[in-house]
Amino acid sequence: MESQMQSATPMKFALLPLIAAVTLWGQSPDLDAPGQHLLDESTVSRSSNSAAEAPAADSSSDINVNSKYIVASIRFVGRSYRLSRTAIEEMHRLIGARVNTEALTKLTSHIKNELRAHAVNFKLDRGVQPGSVDVLLEVDKVFDLSIPSFAWNSNEGWAGIGEARATLGSNVFTFDVISDRDSLVEQYAGIQAKFERTVPHTDRVFMAFEFDQYHENYAAATHLAMAASDSSSSLGAGLYRSRMNIEPSATFVLAKPLTLTVGVSFEELQPELPAARAESANVVVNTLRYRQSWEDSDAIVQELDAGYNLRAATKLLSSSLGYTRHAANARYYYRNGFQSVEIKVALGLIYGNAPLFERFVLGDSNMLRGWNKYELDPLGGNRLAYSSVTYGYHIMRVFYDAGSVWDQGKPALFKQSAGAGISSGFGRLQRGAFLLALAFPLRQGHVEPVFIAGMNF
Amino acid sequence: MRPAIAALAATGLFALTVASDDLFVRRSLTDVHVVAPRLHFLTGKTLQRLRDGATAPFDFQLTISAGTKNNVIVRAVERFVVSYDVWQEKFAVVRMSDFHKWGMNASSNAAEAWCVDNISLPALKLPAGQDLWARLEIRSVDQKNQSSPVSDSGISIISLVELFSRPPRPQQDRWTLETAAFHADALKQQ
Repeated sequence: MESQMQSATPMKFALLPLIAAVTLWGQSPDLDAPGQHLLDESTVSRSSNSAAEAPAADSSSDINVNSKYIVASIRFVGRSYRLSRTAIEEMHRLIGARVNTEALTKLTSHIKNELRAHAVNFKLDRGVQPGSVDVLLEVDKVFDLSIPSFAWNSNEGWAGIGEARATLGSNVFTFDVISDRDSLVEQYAGIQAKFERTVPHTDRVFMAFEFDQYHENYAAATHLAMAASDSSSSLGAGLYRSRMNIEPSATFVLAKPLTLTVGVSFEELQPELPAARAESANVVVNTLRYRQSWEDSDAIVQELDAGYNLRAATKLLSSSLGYTRHAANARYYYRNGFQSVEIKVALGLIYGNAPLFERFVLGDSNMLRGWNKYELDPLGGNRLAYSSVTYGYHIMRVFYDAGSVWDQGKPALFKQSAGAGISSGFGRLQRGAFLLALAFPLRQGHVEPVFIAGMNF
Repeated sequence: MRPAIAALAATGLFALTVASDDLFVRRSLTDVHVVAPRLHFLTGKTLQRLRDGATAPFDFQLTISAGTKNNVIVRAVERFVVSYDVWQEKFAVVRMSDFHKWGMNASSNAAEAWCVDNISLPALKLPAGQDLWARLEIRSVDQKNQSSPVSDSGISIISLVELFSRPPRPQQDRWTLETAAFHADALKQQ
């Protein structure tokens, strides 16, 4: 949930004890979609400043006793927002300077107009360093329709999400309409409804309640593979025509930027045959996430985003399926001027009989691009190993993916792919951005390229 | 009917008594100050906003009337801006008429008392032998208009007086306190 960008210049650290940071969850302005940048509660520190070096606040702002403190970070509470380059630059100017109430009020007014929010207020919170403060921005936005996310893959077809969001005080209601033929073995369409709120008097605990309802379809290859699978298969529940999920959770900011999400998910699967008994996949969910950014200068930016997710179905929750799913992923991004490199790694492991939606997939629009996921494994696998390297220059991208998805006890066949395209961003941080790419599976014989187009995915 | 009128009169008298007990006058060597021990304007959302690091400006007007309550003979206006030190956990108040006058207070009550204590009237202007009434009016400042009376040279007293001559906006919090009638010569110098 958090990313932190810090100055890595040792001399600066030695001279300047106070770390200045701005909260950005997204790439630097240069890499975003034109004029639009995504910010939330993750933190970036751009440069270091001491109180003596920090720009002095206006005399009129000295009326706030906190004007003697240095702004270490500016971040949104609760969710991310897309802001203009001007707003981002305005934030950057305030970072490392003394608290200036007038400037902060101007910034909130600017953001309020930009987001068409009912109100935007700022709060000062003690920073990590003595004498520094974090600025927390609270957006009171009653209703919001976001830009839809979509991806099109010439192998798999469309995946799209439309989202509406309503905010009442610190309560956020989100409603998504989803149709996805890309990211899972199943092709599903349905709704997601989510309620989130910050626990009062703290910005370190977030509560959420999610309800999902989907209807599933399957590719012919999946039907055939399912029919051919033996009874000893690790696959749980078989094919199902719909699934419903109820998922309460809480996210704790352990130590910025490390967060822990704990919750339970009650998922009910209605089998394809109406006479068959419904199955349940009731799991305990734990996610540990670390997201941090470093910025040495305007040119050099580094980001690290790593997470571990555990989903354990247990009889204690009356789950008819028993399994444990471990998934870990990491992403490192480095940019120097117009050049950038992104490295992604993902590992997955499932023990027990997990339903189809839990199984790992490669060969979609994000991982092992260029391959057909049904050709790799029409039922997905319970083991996953994947890595990817992307090199970027301006908006040009070239990438190389390698990985394997397989079942325990069977050999892992590693596949490779490569591709090129244009993009205004990277990975999950390319929200608000677009991607057009052509990907090729690296193999002998006939090679059919896959065309991928996407926005905000 | 009569008991009802008597009850109403008693209620009114009681209210007046309470109001009178909320504001007291004291005199220093040259000035007249007021004390409002039961006054609390740093409460609720304002207090929360302060603890969140924002500033809360308040306009104060202290008047003394002679003969009748409407005959204002002397007036003082001040703007106080309260803020809360998020590290030291103390309230700071600055009197805008002289930016250098700061008060650091450990509690909201102390900050309120500091504001009340730092608005005063010259004692010499009080006529002897007449009934006098002191009245303290406080208005929260609309955040959008908070900087209007403030210029580089400080706060414009004329602007503040004009502000008090207008009725408060609906969103403005307002407190008004009044003393019971008193005589200038009865004020003990403290």
